[in-house]
Amino acid sequence: MTDVVFALAINGLVWGLIIALIALGLSIIFGLLDIINVAHGDLFMLGTVGGLVIATATGSFWVAIVLVPIIAFALGLALERFVIRPTIRQAALTIVTTFGLSMMLQEGVRATYGPQPRRMAPPIGGTVPLFGIDYDIYRLFAAIFAALALAAFFVFLNRTKLGTRIRAVRHDPETATALGIPVARVCGITFALGTAMAALGGVIAAPITTVEFRTGVDILPFCFMAVVIGGLGNLQGTVAAAVLLAVMEGLVTSFANPTIARIVSLAIMSGVLLFRPHGLFAGATR
Amino acid sequence: MLIVEDLKADIGRVPVLRGVSLKVAPGETVALLGRNGVGKTSTLRAILGLLRRNGGKVSYNGQDLTRIAPYRLAKLGLGYVPQGRGIFPLLTVEENLFLGLEGPPPADIVEALYARFPRIAERRRQAAGTLSGGEQQMLAIARCLVMQPTTIMLDEPTEGIMPKLVAQIRAEIGAVAKSGIAVLLVEQNLRTALKLATNVYLMERGQVVHEATPEALKANPDIVHRYLGVSL
Repeated sequence: MTDVVFALAINGLVWGLIIALIALGLSIIFGLLDIINVAHGDLFMLGTVGGLVIATATGSFWVAIVLVPIIAFALGLALERFVIRPTIRQAALTIVTTFGLSMMLQEGVRATYGPQPRRMAPPIGGTVPLFGIDYDIYRLFAAIFAALALAAFFVFLNRTKLGTRIRAVRHDPETATALGIPVARVCGITFALGTAMAALGGVIAAPITTVEFRTGVDILPFCFMAVVIGGLGNLQGTVAAAVLLAVMEGLVTSFANPTIARIVSLAIMSGVLLFRPHGLFAGATR
Repeated sequence: MLIVEDLKADIGRVPVLRGVSLKVAPGETVALLGRNGVGKTSTLRAILGLLRRNGGKVSYNGQDLTRIAPYRLAKLGLGYVPQGRGIFPLLTVEENLFLGLEGPPPADIVEALYARFPRIAERRRQAAGTLSGGEQQMLAIARCLVMQPTTIMLDEPTEGIMPKLVAQIRAEIGAVAKSGIAVLLVEQNLRTALKLATNVYLMERGQVVHEATPEALKANPDIVHRYLGVSL
């Protein structure tokens, strides 16, 4: 029994780190552009599908892990310019717009890639003994890679000029404009970064999940819960909440089942909304 | 020279500027005065394109600003210290200072700036939100000066500042003006405005209703009382 608990907890941690990457993208987009991107899960789905397609075409997963975020970044720039920007600062309209985008992405993938779920072989095979269980090496790699990507993002945000400008625009776009910062360009780059992070999460997750046009539908609510529990726009809080939620769901699943685990997550989110509406980690924003 | 002609702007459907005209010549300190809500802040925001203009003309050194993206105006030499200081509280003092510069700040500018604002220099690694109100105002002015502007627009720079620091901020604005930078000053503190200004515009209901030198204004207390509601 202890083995199962460990395995599910570690699986939760692995998923938590991947979801943190995706939820972080959702959170920076919300924090900067004030939009709730309903299509964010589908950008993750595009990452899984794109990863499988590129890995199959080139014969290398490593080519896919490099190319997919780059392509997603370019796609994000185009989406921000032509889909998001025309509806910016109109909250209700952005939900409708991104919902439409979500439909288009899902149906576009179904029409071109097909409706059947597929599996992607992990690029690293084998297992390692971990707390008395044999654990997939690839899952450990995915966790470490996601953690490194998260760390790199925070270094970028806190140590580079562009990162500093993103933080400034999040706080006060008008003063940032008066200081000579091209706010529209910063917003475009931020949306593209969020898109690239979701797609990168998709490539990493592709070997440990099913790859199909609806993959993003399951991931989106989890990301939203992480963003709400962590505090809207609170990036560190989002990462912490994603990891905590995923580990908690893993542990609950070992005693009950995934449905009960999700109910517990929703109950936690409701509690946070009722008693700490600014998130569990309010005040830790930077 | 900054020339504003018949500038009009709305917030939503409410007209806030109904044709503002003013001029700020190089080396001049112009004060824009009026009661709360007459459109002083809106005038500055509309000049910078931060508030959508729907009529009139704004030109700076012969360039039509209405055709230039607002973020480019800082590079043309128009600096802005917004009402409430506009500090980014979670960024460090240093990050705030050099945010508008494209590359790393030139060493001579940094040195001169820190020599001029020693309190800011001492606190450069701190989050800007931890500074006092007066220090934040100094930071906002210093941040504007880093961009090497030729005109600075200051919106209520002494608002919410401890009285003993008001004189310090007033001295700093005076020093800015003395260095040859033109100043457009929105100020509720009449004493401060009249001390610093070389020319004064009075606003009411989104329009400039009176223009005078500080001396002429001091000699005409009725006008001051009518448009500002205070006695000299």
